[in-house]
Amino acid sequence: MSIRTISRGVATWFEDRLGLSAIVGFLKEKEVPQNKHTLWTYTGSLILVFFGIQVVTGVMLAFYYKPTLELANKSIGRIMTEVPLGWIIRSVHFWSSTFMIAVVFIHLLSIWIIKSYRKPRELTWMSGVFLLVFTLAFGFTGYLLPWDDLSLAATKVGTDIPRSIPWVGVWATKFLRGGDDISADTLSRFFSFHVSVLPLCLLAVLCFHIFLIQKQGMSFPLGAQEREEGKRVLPFWPNFVLREAIVWLVFLGVLITVAVLLPPSLGKSADLMAPAPEGIKPEWYFLFLFQTLKIFPPKILFMSGDTVAVLVILVGVILFFCLPLIDNKPDRRKGKLITAAAYLFILYAVAMTLWSLLS
Amino acid sequence: MKLKHSVFTRRQFLNGLLGGWLGALAASFAYPIIKFLFPPTPEPEQVILPLADYSGIPPNSVKTFAWGSKPGFIKKSDDGTLAVFVAVCTHLDCSVAYLADQKKFFCACDEGWYDDNGINIGGPPPKPLRRLVLEEEGANLIIKREKAA
Repeated sequence: MSIRTISRGVATWFEDRLGLSAIVGFLKEKEVPQNKHTLWTYTGSLILVFFGIQVVTGVMLAFYYKPTLELANKSIGRIMTEVPLGWIIRSVHFWSSTFMIAVVFIHLLSIWIIKSYRKPRELTWMSGVFLLVFTLAFGFTGYLLPWDDLSLAATKVGTDIPRSIPWVGVWATKFLRGGDDISADTLSRFFSFHVSVLPLCLLAVLCFHIFLIQKQGMSFPLGAQEREEGKRVLPFWPNFVLREAIVWLVFLGVLITVAVLLPPSLGKSADLMAPAPEGIKPEWYFLFLFQTLKIFPPKILFMSGDTVAVLVILVGVILFFCLPLIDNKPDRRKGKLITAAAYLFILYAVAMTLWSLLS
Repeated sequence: MKLKHSVFTRRQFLNGLLGGWLGALAASFAYPIIKFLFPPTPEPEQVILPLADYSGIPPNSVKTFAWGSKPGFIKKSDDGTLAVFVAVCTHLDCSVAYLADQKKFFCACDEGWYDDNGINIGGPPPKPLRRLVLEEEGANLIIKREKAA
């Protein structure tokens, strides 16, 4: 018996029991619309690549990381200096999170502008907003884990923001911190969120998100059916996947290069009793929110400025979540206004981020 | 020399090229991952202990010290001579105990026995306990690896 007959036999054995050829057949029939917007369809799988890297490097870091007051900072120092190639594993974890969040933003803005969330894809968008929240929560909880001055100060500010929400705010802050103040319990809580709660939540919603995309197929641009481009498609397997693979490899190369040249720093272990260091800023993806909070005056009518700011942001998030329901006539004037709102939002976020960076 | 027939088709060649390249890529990612998973835990060159802590050991008893990440015994025999052992059973890595009344080392995991010189005398241990070299220097005890035989 040759190797080929043996492997064919093994394949048949599994095929008889699993019936996976249905999936392969599905992927072969799946088509990706080809038009001037096709570029954006690459962002979805690119996010998955970065997420996969996060899972692998995250599991590896957890082998050596110790979420306690005494050892958190020290154990990362050990990863950076003693564990073989630990510095690059941490650097890749850090940069891959940055890249992932950047591509998540591009992914959702492109969908907003192309209006791929139109009926029947409202739930895909809504589950995507959940994925966005989980991704940002990953970034926020992960930022505390090195337990240096900067991460402690950023977490103090970040967990204090919900306090301004009426009724539930104080409770939310207590829940996040595991008490009134940041303590050892906050660190283990954030670690638990970061390595078990958030991964489970994200994976569950991610499965739903991807299932919907497969069930409904790729979206065509608005009005494409009437035009010639509505007919142009690319087979998903192998044509589109191979093209995606090129994108993955290019970004993998960029990621590793950046990770080697610019490894993240590690400050000295945080002291809960020390005053906050000067010039603290959150990670770049929170800067526009951070700056938004800053521009509100301390008092507006009978409410504090913070409360108004947090409520405005909350309403914004809810509107954002309901965007497909609000944008129910995408090809009319209202739909065009909502597209314009996307550009306005980009302009606002970039301006606020620059303002925060330069001030 | 020119072959009359190709050994493999163009498709096989290209598939092999692509597959080999993907394999090399995967290997280049696997290498740092595997390196990362095995941190170096080098055995210490020597361990320095304050003599004062160990001078008061009663005869026919042992005192524990840390030989890197393994337990070590400093043993004083009845005549007052000191001997140093790595207190790890040579069978399956359990830590051994010293039973003063029987003057034997005992490993509870699989009932291994060593005499008071660390020689395996009963049960499964295949080798004597590992001995280390002891030197006194001023106010310190210096424990070193055994010299290469």
